[in-house]
Amino acid sequence: MVFTIEKQGIARWLEKLLETSALIAPVRGPCGDVVFSTIRSPDQVLWNFGNPLHPPKQFVLPQTDPIVAIKRNGQRHEVEPIHDDAPRILFNLRNCDAKGITFLTQMHAMEPADASYLRRSNSITVISLACNTPCPQGFCVCTDSGPFLSSGYDIQLTDLGEKYLAEVGSEKGEAAISGVVNLFRTATGSEVAQRKTLEVKARSHFGEETCHFASAMRRISTGRVQDALWDKMSDWCLECGACTLACPTCYCFSVKDLRRDGGWIRCRLWDSCQYGAFTLEASGHNPREQRKERMKRRFFHKASAQYYMRDGMVGCVGCGRCVKVCLGTTDMPAVVGAIRKGKWHE
Amino acid sequence: MLSIPTTCPFCACGCGFYLLANKGQLVGVAPSETHAISAGRLCARGWSAHEAALWGDRLRRPLLQHNGTLGPASWVEALDHVAGRIRNLIDTGKSVGILGSPRATNEENYLAGKLARAGFQTNNVDFCFHSLCRPLFEGFEEVSGQYSPCMRLNDIESCQTILLLEGDLAKTHPQAASSVMRALESGAHLITIGYIRTQMARLSSLHLRTTPGNEGAVLNGLVASVLHLGLEDPTSVAVHCEGYDALRRELATAKMTEEMHQAAACIARAKQTAFLMAPTSGQGDQPRKDAAALATLAAITGHLDKPGSGLLPLLARSNVQGACDMGVAPDRLPGYEPCDGGQCRHRLQELWGKELPSARGLDAETLLQSVSGVIILADDPPSVLAMGQRAMAAMAKIEFLVVLDAFVTPTVTISHVALPIASFAETDGTLTSMEGRVQGLRGTTDPPGEARPGWQVLAELCTRFQVDASYGSASDVRREIAQAAPRYARTEQPESGDGWGGTWVGDSDKRKFRLSATRVAALTSAECPHVLAREGTYDWGRDPLVSFSPTLSRDYQSQRKLFLNGLVEICKQDADRLGLRAGWLVRLTSVHGDAVVPVRVRMDLEPGVILVPYAFRDHVASVLGTDSIAAVKVEQT
Repeated sequence: MVFTIEKQGIARWLEKLLETSALIAPVRGPCGDVVFSTIRSPDQVLWNFGNPLHPPKQFVLPQTDPIVAIKRNGQRHEVEPIHDDAPRILFNLRNCDAKGITFLTQMHAMEPADASYLRRSNSITVISLACNTPCPQGFCVCTDSGPFLSSGYDIQLTDLGEKYLAEVGSEKGEAAISGVVNLFRTATGSEVAQRKTLEVKARSHFGEETCHFASAMRRISTGRVQDALWDKMSDWCLECGACTLACPTCYCFSVKDLRRDGGWIRCRLWDSCQYGAFTLEASGHNPREQRKERMKRRFFHKASAQYYMRDGMVGCVGCGRCVKVCLGTTDMPAVVGAIRKGKWHE
Repeated sequence: MLSIPTTCPFCACGCGFYLLANKGQLVGVAPSETHAISAGRLCARGWSAHEAALWGDRLRRPLLQHNGTLGPASWVEALDHVAGRIRNLIDTGKSVGILGSPRATNEENYLAGKLARAGFQTNNVDFCFHSLCRPLFEGFEEVSGQYSPCMRLNDIESCQTILLLEGDLAKTHPQAASSVMRALESGAHLITIGYIRTQMARLSSLHLRTTPGNEGAVLNGLVASVLHLGLEDPTSVAVHCEGYDALRRELATAKMTEEMHQAAACIARAKQTAFLMAPTSGQGDQPRKDAAALATLAAITGHLDKPGSGLLPLLARSNVQGACDMGVAPDRLPGYEPCDGGQCRHRLQELWGKELPSARGLDAETLLQSVSGVIILADDPPSVLAMGQRAMAAMAKIEFLVVLDAFVTPTVTISHVALPIASFAETDGTLTSMEGRVQGLRGTTDPPGEARPGWQVLAELCTRFQVDASYGSASDVRREIAQAAPRYARTEQPESGDGWGGTWVGDSDKRKFRLSATRVAALTSAECPHVLAREGTYDWGRDPLVSFSPTLSRDYQSQRKLFLNGLVEICKQDADRLGLRAGWLVRLTSVHGDAVVPVRVRMDLEPGVILVPYAFRDHVASVLGTDSIAAVKVEQT
């Protein structure tokens, strides 16, 4: 189902949504950054913005995520799961991030399914905004995750000038417009065609970053990346873990109990496979003690045929965040490029 | 979700990020693209900055020791008790002192100094990390006439040459290492001086090998090469430098190598050169002389007063510079001015309305070992001081020990009074980065339990000693700092309005540079052919900000857990020659004494060097004595 909504109708739609859900959208933060934040009024929402550096993955997989409450009761311990299924709408997400959430949900739904994650993600509605102009660092066109999507959203909005095209992709999407159907009307053939034209135009306007996964994937999957290359590349990594923490598709975590009110809250914490002791075993043995081993592991997970077959996509949505947050110089396009060419900084 | 812009509490690079809180509880960290230093890039510590405040063992209410055990007390009771006991010690002629902290804000440090000088009438005020970085400040000051840094972190990226005398920059200051990497990507030359082939050394175009305590030979060689090749900057030498001829004479016999010539040419011919220096090890005043030699190299090549070039001291903890600027030093007043200096002392006497003592106070190490009453602000001496666990023994003998901290550190457990203060995530204030950038810390959540902001507690103590301290907020303290230290006049409101703010302190007048060469002393002998050196890299593993963070403590502490008896590191060649394998025990013998410790074999260490990580310094304390290096004999046991 494809609809359109006039731009002046947006505020009323958002007000309607605010009645029943928390609405999370990109807003201008106190220091000029664009950040995802819970909004109170429709005029806070940004429509022309660079994608926030901190990904909306925090709303399905928080950096500190309480999952179980543990209380002592005499000689026993009582364990109670903590649920978070508050209705939330993620509004004006870029398509790369919408695809990232699809990826995370697919992973967590795999057996054994992660009930805590799924409960939260099931109560989230994703309303994305297609990118008529791709961002300078983005390379979503290389990962099939933008600038326009054909699935994976609840609603996808496209700016058609005077109005927005709203493609409804799920029941949750239908529910999101059900209270204000009078604001939406079925899109005409020419409006749908206009969206196609915008997509073709956007695809031809990508910036400097490209990331050709295919040949890199062949090399990675068959172990044909020289050890010396990993050696060299790992010297340009500063082990900050930002590539994984800011990545919309990374989900590694560790578990730690937080003492509260005489009991404990078991929390899931963001973790990074790039940290030295991430794979440290209780015996003291660490199978990936060297940085290059950890880097190798990361790119094997992101871009090997083995994982591609399992997930149906590379573990990257081309958002370009790693290019900005990498403290060193080993972001996704740089490393994939080096693997493809077989050389680094030469 | 609340996102509050604040400054990173770990190292002194001065990064900024948003602390995220939900329902009054910290939940994470988000990077900021608009911050001038970090620009969206944070290191592992920054990304986990919320963890310590959230997971840490927090001090929640004032504790008072009764019959040898700490028990809860009210704030009034605890503060009155502190004031009463300290007053009593002073009245009976016993000495007291205060330790400030490079983990505390400028406001807290300023009030710690004010309490000591105006309240206790003593210059016994210092901070634990001071002795390690002081030689750097003093060496730079000796040559340039000012101790504050002359270089901005962001300028590194546009330098053509970077000279790095390092600890291990990639580990100690990842943000600075990041700037160096970006410079390298645009074609800059990196020259490293060190005894470990570290990550940065591997990226360098020239690595000048040295041994601990012998960095001076390389520095003298570089200065001599500049003179020998006629690469001095003529204007700088003619107009700004003093002691040029003496320097020439002194270095007439300095050893030079082809590599030094290359490096000297690279340094001198670059339009912009950055000189980054971590604290070095050495006996006596060797580290200070080394710092002076590096400053001399910058001065004669014309890079000391050139915009975009200059010296940058690599300070490990977030507010080392601020603590110094606030006068947390036994011989310096706010503004780092000498405490016997007339003008500054006069200004402070007017401002504080009290006569101030002029005699030099005791440094942190001596203070802990000799005074009867000590107030320690937000620090844990045994984990910071070079004397390690000996500090714990010294503190146990102190008649009256008061600790103000947000965390339950080992020092808190042996204190007589423990006062809970807000952590970096709960207080307003400012920190001064290693480049002299003053930036705001902003309270994101409420302090736990009854904890109060540190400036408030110190102000209460000041009042109890009849020192005027009626501040309504941290900004009020900052306004007073601006009067006490004129260098801070522009930093009153770093967080005013929107945006990150941040102002630099520093003097920019043209000055005279006093050139100086360093000493090169032979340390080893036929009997003791190896050099045992204490690694200068700060032991973050013992810092509460790391040890209470689940993610960071795993990475910082897991290694040491494997070595309960400590360890020293030795290079592969030496290990082979001595017939040693990893984990075997060696006996180290110096003139001071001996110790038996396990070894770890490293591939990237210079031959002849036995390195002890800062975390394991206690295990070789008997061999090192009070120095940071010693010539040793190594035997298999």
